[in-house]
Amino acid sequence: MARSLAISGSATLLASTWSIPLAVKLVIGGDSRASRLALDLLNSLTSVPTVVIGLVMYLILSRSGPLGFLNLLYTPVAIALGQAVLVTPLITSAAAASLSGVHEVVWEMAMALGATERQAAGAMLREALPSILTVVLLGFNRALGELGIALMLGGNIRGFTRVMTTAIALEVSRGEFELALSLSGILLSLAIVVNVAIRRMGERR
Amino acid sequence: MIELLDVRYSYPRGAEALRGVALTIREGITSLVGPNGSGKTTILKISAGLLRPAAGQVLVDGSDLWSADPEERLRLRRSVVYVHESPVVMRGTVEENVAFGLRLRGVPDEEAREGVREAMEMLGLSQLASASARTLSAGQRQLVALARALAVSPRHLLLDEPTANLDRENRRRVARVLRTLAREGVSVAVATHDRLLALEISDRAVLIEDGLVAAEGGPSEVLEGL
Repeated sequence: MARSLAISGSATLLASTWSIPLAVKLVIGGDSRASRLALDLLNSLTSVPTVVIGLVMYLILSRSGPLGFLNLLYTPVAIALGQAVLVTPLITSAAAASLSGVHEVVWEMAMALGATERQAAGAMLREALPSILTVVLLGFNRALGELGIALMLGGNIRGFTRVMTTAIALEVSRGEFELALSLSGILLSLAIVVNVAIRRMGERR
Repeated sequence: MIELLDVRYSYPRGAEALRGVALTIREGITSLVGPNGSGKTTILKISAGLLRPAAGQVLVDGSDLWSADPEERLRLRRSVVYVHESPVVMRGTVEENVAFGLRLRGVPDEEAREGVREAMEMLGLSQLASASARTLSAGQRQLVALARALAVSPRHLLLDEPTANLDRENRRRVARVLRTLAREGVSVAVATHDRLLALEISDRAVLIEDGLVAAEGGPSEVLEGL
């Protein structure tokens, strides 16, 4: 369970570091053709199956792939990287939707008071923080619940890359349905607890 | 002083909003009057550097805003403050909202506190300092937005319908504050449909029609025909 949390948490944080600034950039450039195209593309990518991302990342990280020299395949880092790629379109497009709600008013107000573009973007982010937190949470849940990437890039190695979803798949293949159901219950409870905790945090802010 | 020289502007995928406006916002109070959609708000936003004109020049205290280097442009922009007609308040207390512009400018804490206190006092907001800004009425929000602008002591203050949500008492208070600022040498421009306000406080009035300056002069003279 701790491994699942750590891997999916790192993946979400990693994806957030580029997805949220990208969302800000896209919202600021809202009317430009490039921004609109990028948002359309990201929206489409949110529905790409996890096995497709798993396959592409497998080819990149495999020994003969461009990043093969890093020897990351079948490590927790590989799963985290794959999950980060998976949740990037989701976090970017949902964050852009949240930010566009405050962009028009907060951006102009900040600029009208003499903000630099960076300061205005910061004000916009602060104002949208509760919804941005929800978006990050959405990304975390997506990463935590995916199976294809964890299986293809992690290999389900016991004590090393086995996470909740791959453990459930393994128990089902063994016919251990009771254990699989228990693990599913734990995964579901975990998702609920993290959801509630982060939402409460957002409300307090 | 802010000068607009033959300024043209079109909104993306929209008609031409300004069709060669020549206008000077000088010390004292200038009222911009005219029907909805005539271009008053666009003039204020262009004067504040929030919109870049398609053609023409915007001079702030004699310097061309859009040919200045980024550092100089920021300095010029910071001498002008624009307050939108729909007052925006952010999460946090009234005091934090009023301090926002000062924080952007990196004003030291003690000086900022003093600026915030003065601005809130001027607009009768002192009692609300620690209230959550999001819980305020539309009128109170308008006062907070105005206090936020006053706190940074702008040389040029541009207000879009500043009394739209205010009751009589607060309307009088705002009028008084604007007159005081004008006496202190601030150039104030007010886009308004409030004919009485324009007559009461303005030194000059400018009638905007269909993206052009249709008339300008003394307020009673310009407003007479409206």
